[in-house]
Amino acid sequence: MKHIKQLYSFIFFSIVLAIAYLFFSTAQIQQILNENVESIFIKEAKSFAQNINNNIKTVIKEDPYKELKENPSLQKKMEHALSIIINDTFKYIFVLYRDSNGNYRYLLDGSKEDKAHFNQRLSVDKKLWSSVYDTKVPLIINQKELDNLWITYLKPVVLNNKTVAIIAIDFSTQLPQSIYNAIEPLNKIFIYIFIAIGLLIVILIYQSIRSIKIKKESITDPLTQAYNRNYLRDLLSNIDITKYQIMMLDIDHFKQVNDNYGHKTGDYILASSAKIMQNEIRDEDILIRFGGEEFLIFIKKSSVNSYLAYNIAQRIRKKIEESRFFYEDKELQITLSIGISCQPEHFKTVSLAIKYADEMLYKAKREGRNQVISQSTNDTTLLKKTNTKSINDVKEALEEQRVVCFFQAIYNAASLTVVKYEALVRIKEKDGSITSPADFLESITYTNVYNDLTKSVLESVFTQIKEKKIQISTNLNFSDILDNKIFDLIIHELEVHKELSSWLIIELLEYELIEEITIVQSRLLRIKEYGVKIAIDDFGSGYSNYSIFKLLPIDILKIDGSLIKDIDTSEASYKITHSIILLAKELGITTVAEFVHSKEVLETVKMLHIDEVQGFYLAKPSPNIL
Amino acid sequence: MKKIILILLLVPLLFASDIKTEQKIYGLIIHALLPQKTEIKVWTDSQSPKNIFCLIKGVKCVKNPENADFLLLNKKKNIQTKGIKFATNIQLLEAEKDTIVGGFFWQKGRPNILFLRKNLQKHNITLPESMQEYIEDEL
Repeated sequence: MKHIKQLYSFIFFSIVLAIAYLFFSTAQIQQILNENVESIFIKEAKSFAQNINNNIKTVIKEDPYKELKENPSLQKKMEHALSIIINDTFKYIFVLYRDSNGNYRYLLDGSKEDKAHFNQRLSVDKKLWSSVYDTKVPLIINQKELDNLWITYLKPVVLNNKTVAIIAIDFSTQLPQSIYNAIEPLNKIFIYIFIAIGLLIVILIYQSIRSIKIKKESITDPLTQAYNRNYLRDLLSNIDITKYQIMMLDIDHFKQVNDNYGHKTGDYILASSAKIMQNEIRDEDILIRFGGEEFLIFIKKSSVNSYLAYNIAQRIRKKIEESRFFYEDKELQITLSIGISCQPEHFKTVSLAIKYADEMLYKAKREGRNQVISQSTNDTTLLKKTNTKSINDVKEALEEQRVVCFFQAIYNAASLTVVKYEALVRIKEKDGSITSPADFLESITYTNVYNDLTKSVLESVFTQIKEKKIQISTNLNFSDILDNKIFDLIIHELEVHKELSSWLIIELLEYELIEEITIVQSRLLRIKEYGVKIAIDDFGSGYSNYSIFKLLPIDILKIDGSLIKDIDTSEASYKITHSIILLAKELGITTVAEFVHSKEVLETVKMLHIDEVQGFYLAKPSPNIL
Repeated sequence: MKKIILILLLVPLLFASDIKTEQKIYGLIIHALLPQKTEIKVWTDSQSPKNIFCLIKGVKCVKNPENADFLLLNKKKNIQTKGIKFATNIQLLEAEKDTIVGGFFWQKGRPNILFLRKNLQKHNITLPESMQEYIEDEL
């Protein structure tokens, strides 16, 4: 679209330039034409003047004034000779002499109209005429100040080395006028074109201003004057997110403001809060009304202050907390909760980074409101409770190959022989300690680091399969199957390890039956084409849904640990597990009991004819497969 | 609307420059011929320069030629007056050379001013130095 606009601009200015070039070329042609015509007629005038000069010299001996005064018939005859030369171009031809007072007077006048009598005075430019008189050199005068004359050619009549008169030939403006008249329509066309272009430019400017105004209105929230979601949609496709931190803000208990004081008061609070936010951020930051009482701010990163968004958020929160809002004799006090995504560039998309800031916001809400929650490498507010790893910690561990897999054996329940292993991801800390996935998976969800981790685990699993030739399962989420990047990654790994893929089991964490189930279904079928088996993990708790058996190509069902761990003491757990096993058997699905932590539990599940068992009683996760 | 009115007012002013020049020349001539008068009454038989005179500073146009101090003539007229007669063409100047003080006319595309010495003397007029060169003893 931008290129099309540039192309239009280029074409428009090219046309304007071409027209301007033509206009000036025409003016130049007119000038050249004038000069050529002028040159031709000056040449002719010189010739005429020379003939007149010769004629005068033939009949006048010494003093033309005296001799012509005394001989009117000679005067008449010579004037007749001059009148013959007069035409549309040579308008006036006359001969003047200079009297003792320096005034110029007629000797001969070839004009038929406007004819002067002998010795009549004519006002001329004395300076120029006298120069011809004194220097005896002919002169061409361009008559710029006289309307009806174009050029005057002056030739001195010299007798006995003395100037006795001047022959003057006046050129009519008719000729240049006719050239001008011939070109004038063309000039007028150009003027009309320029006027049209001018009008077009005015209309374009008007339309552009109008368009900018309309566009501004369409991207601005009229109540708060902050940008709206239309603007956000455009921003998401253009923004360089590496330069920003994202802040999500929500007015605490705003619904109560609306319910108790009315929507007008609510609107006033929204507008006032937005104004405070706008005042507290910089010009380069972007304030967006995300919806309702939620606002989104993109804070331009500072190279010197990685806490910038956090500091600004605290400033806004404090300012709002300290402000008193007065509306129609009512005094209100409000607070803000704020969540920050400090490193949005780590997320796969900006939308996910916003989602993450939203999650931080809800953490802030859950933890008592009127506070700022931020997650970043150095932000201890988020890391305070646990040993939760940051995105950069996981990234660093991946780079240093400290992300490893532990393997826990799964046994045949009847024979108690190892039939497969479950791969469990861990981070090996620099001090040798081991960090479990609960401490780092959450912080990398939605980020590219999660993709890298998945790739690393799959490669590690295939290495073990190749070496030990035994089935190994690995854990994934339904959302991973839906994620195009991760799905492509799985397919790529399966292609690379085609001959080993039938040893692989993918354990999907049982989750709420998602809307995109048909996509999951088709993708799992695609995965199964490589011989991969599909297991459902933690079945029997949470969002357990029996329709999953109908929709998905399940090979293995892992019964949730919460049912198994007390199966020997809880009748309910026993009966639920029993029914699940019966159902699975009917469907031809292998069952696995997790969390087998005691002999009693093992004996109970064996009694229920479970196929396979797994738990600390049998084997703990180990870095190596024995 | 204001812009249109402004344009309508400005356009005539652009064409007024030539008239102003002619007005200036006539102003100089009239005040040179009648330097002692603070208000000079002018009459003319020519329609076109009539408005020009009326706008000259210190000049008042009159309807009756007999009341005029200065008469600008285009055609020969039998007017009994003590006022100064001035011609707008050479033909009238030649025809009325015994009474007319001078003329301002165009010849061969050039502006010409001419004063007749004897008629200036009749009216006891002494022209300023700048206009002396336009005085002719006879036509």
